[in-house]
Amino acid sequence: MIKTIVKRDGRKAEFDVKKIADAIYKAAQVLGGKDYDMAVDLANQVVDYLENTCKLEEPGVEQIQDAVERVMIENGHARTAKEFILYRAERTRVRDMNTRLMKIYEELTFKDAVDNDIKRENANIDGDTAMGTMLKYGSEGAKQFYEMYVLNPAHSKAHREGDIHIHDLDFLTLTTTCCQINIEQLFKGGFSTGHGFLREPNDISSYSALACIAIQSNQNDQHGGQSIPDFDYGMAIGVRKTYRRIYIRNVGKALEIFCDMEDGEPTAKEICLKVEKAHGVSPVLYNGNGYCACEAEELRQLVDESLIGKIQSFARKNAEKETTRSTYQSMEAFVHNLNTMHSRAGAQVPFSSINYGTDTSPEGRLVIRSILLANEAGLGNGETPIFPIHIFKVKEGINYNPGEPNYDLFKLACRVSARRLFPNFSFLDAPFNLQYYKPGNPDTECAYMGCRTRVIANRYDPSREVVSGRGNLSFTSVNLPRIAINAHGNVDWFFEDLDRKIQLIIDQLLERFEIQCSKKVRNYPFLMGQGVWLDSEKLGPDDEVREVLKHGTLTLGFIGLAECLKALIGKHHGESAEAQNLGLDIVGFMRKRMDEASEKYGLNFSLIATPAEGLSGRFVRLDKKKYGIIPGVTDRDYYTNSFHVPVYYEISAFDKIRLEAPYHALTNGGHISYIELDGDPLKNLDAFERVVRCMKEEGIGYGSINHPVDRDPVCGYTGIIDDVCPRCGRREFEAVSVEKLKQLGVYKNLNADTLGYHGDPAEERERAANPVE
Amino acid sequence: MENKNINAEPEMVGAGVGFERIRRITGYLVGTLDRFNNAKRAEEHDRVKHSVSDTLEVL
Repeated sequence: MIKTIVKRDGRKAEFDVKKIADAIYKAAQVLGGKDYDMAVDLANQVVDYLENTCKLEEPGVEQIQDAVERVMIENGHARTAKEFILYRAERTRVRDMNTRLMKIYEELTFKDAVDNDIKRENANIDGDTAMGTMLKYGSEGAKQFYEMYVLNPAHSKAHREGDIHIHDLDFLTLTTTCCQINIEQLFKGGFSTGHGFLREPNDISSYSALACIAIQSNQNDQHGGQSIPDFDYGMAIGVRKTYRRIYIRNVGKALEIFCDMEDGEPTAKEICLKVEKAHGVSPVLYNGNGYCACEAEELRQLVDESLIGKIQSFARKNAEKETTRSTYQSMEAFVHNLNTMHSRAGAQVPFSSINYGTDTSPEGRLVIRSILLANEAGLGNGETPIFPIHIFKVKEGINYNPGEPNYDLFKLACRVSARRLFPNFSFLDAPFNLQYYKPGNPDTECAYMGCRTRVIANRYDPSREVVSGRGNLSFTSVNLPRIAINAHGNVDWFFEDLDRKIQLIIDQLLERFEIQCSKKVRNYPFLMGQGVWLDSEKLGPDDEVREVLKHGTLTLGFIGLAECLKALIGKHHGESAEAQNLGLDIVGFMRKRMDEASEKYGLNFSLIATPAEGLSGRFVRLDKKKYGIIPGVTDRDYYTNSFHVPVYYEISAFDKIRLEAPYHALTNGGHISYIELDGDPLKNLDAFERVVRCMKEEGIGYGSINHPVDRDPVCGYTGIIDDVCPRCGRREFEAVSVEKLKQLGVYKNLNADTLGYHGDPAEERERAANPVE
Repeated sequence: MENKNINAEPEMVGAGVGFERIRRITGYLVGTLDRFNNAKRAEEHDRVKHSVSDTLEVL
């Protein structure tokens, strides 16, 4: 007589025949069965079988389930038995995943980031902090939940097995990737962060502060990055307001000093308002609009003719000086804030990008110069700022050639990048960017976000091919090397299978899109609630975001073109022209499929050269397990980024640029090329600039130059450090005497925790030797 | 000059402090390689420099 059973975990439990009957009934119900008595009868047969045939007194769960299957089949209930088996398999998978999840949680809890790769999946999250770990608990739990219960099983399987990779899966049901924020529009009339209302800013310092707040607020509504596509144009408005105010104040001061007037400032303000009303001009930097002449007319009625010139030059000189200083301080604060402010429960700084370089107005130029100099100066102890990502837009006629209005700023951008790795460079003259460019409308200047995302074309609404208020909705990458391995050299089969994988990804992107569409405005209090996203200002809090989301992109990505080519024909695109041609065919094919999907659905499907941080190791790990080590394909711990020539391959900078440029034209959802320079590029700015110019001439859309930037936190030296710090002579982890630091003139703060030097005498000498003006 | 002050060891600072090595990872910068995941560490390790000698003109 069975009284107890043994559960999976070894514990004993009271035996209840009703539980067996219920399980059988549930399986029968799936097929329309309604006969509970029959289920009870079968359950009794199971007990009989266990007791009398198997001679078990204390059966295990698995033994009972085996018996159920056997009895059902013997009684002719084959289909019900099949349902029961499926149900059992599914429960087993769920149980396995639960165990796996608990295993992950255990590691997150008890292991440090140094021993746990998951905690280092994203380098900009500190996995060792309370909030960083909490973020990972949520993220890992969400991923498993979606895999089990939300994703289409076919997509879940393809993702799990590594045919495809669904990026940001932990946010599947929650939000979209990224957005390009139009700060000019956002600031107009003020905005609310959801925790309080901010009035329209009236000074460059509040412009800069509010821009940070906008980035921070929006970061909490999305899982990707935040970008300001025309930072110079947006901030210039704040500079104009600042100059006007400071100019009026200084005219007032001059009236008091030179003319003994008591209420100089109110008088000056009155005059300004009068001129603005009558002539429509305000005081501006360098007086480009003739304001001073109009103002002189008014002053003539109040003061002696001979003093007018004096008053105005005093006011202009001081206003210019104070505005310049104030703008620099605001840009410095902007950089500092974006490196220190927290988002996402405090685990990470917002992922921010700013694009600039083309505003030729005096105010815009001042903004560009100031933000570049602030980035060059570095943070409080001279550290290289990590955020925002700076993107300098290069454009012929504006800043590319000597004599063009912002050419000096392009030179400055090269110098700063040679020291601080930012800015990166984007190229508006690349044909695929130039086609959208309308002079005088910065919203048509192609911008890049974060690592590389690009959103400008608009198949859904061709009249709105603009950058601001738009971004990527989600993206999924295909494992190119695996298809190539499976093709066994058969290129036709490769394309057939690639086509199948792309179709799977299109379907998956559409299913995810459907989830995103059913969200309401109130799910995104800032992004949609404050009208940041294009057209969202037309919606109410309970409206679906479906229509406006269609301005965003649904994107296919890829990784490992180099390994894919190695697997297919034995050479990658750095090694042979044949491989390069095949590479272009493959990427061109993916692009064509995206264009077709855009036409078919009236949505913006695009192709991205996947950034791949977490993914860089995931596919190859799975493929190594599946296929073993294949030389040139699975023999490293990472797959090569997107279409890049492998990082380990010896090639000249110019050849690399020439080979990678054509892929930029094909990857309309985003791309970037890197060049690694040896030595200190500050010592060879010409070479640095030649690389940038080569990128432009070859048709690169977005590129940047890597070089070693090391820093000794003790003496503050920034540059290349091999084993020994060139300034203070210490080796890593060694101590250095305070006396030595004093001799070097770098020991300013008298305690070891706050060591660090503000500025670098040697480097400053070099700046003077290489004037950029 | 020799330090003739016999009653004090020279004050030392910086023991145990490492160098910071700023590197670019998929487009953004990271202040230390410690935060890189294993695959990205391997990739960073393999990066070779690209020469800027005038090979382009030859091609």
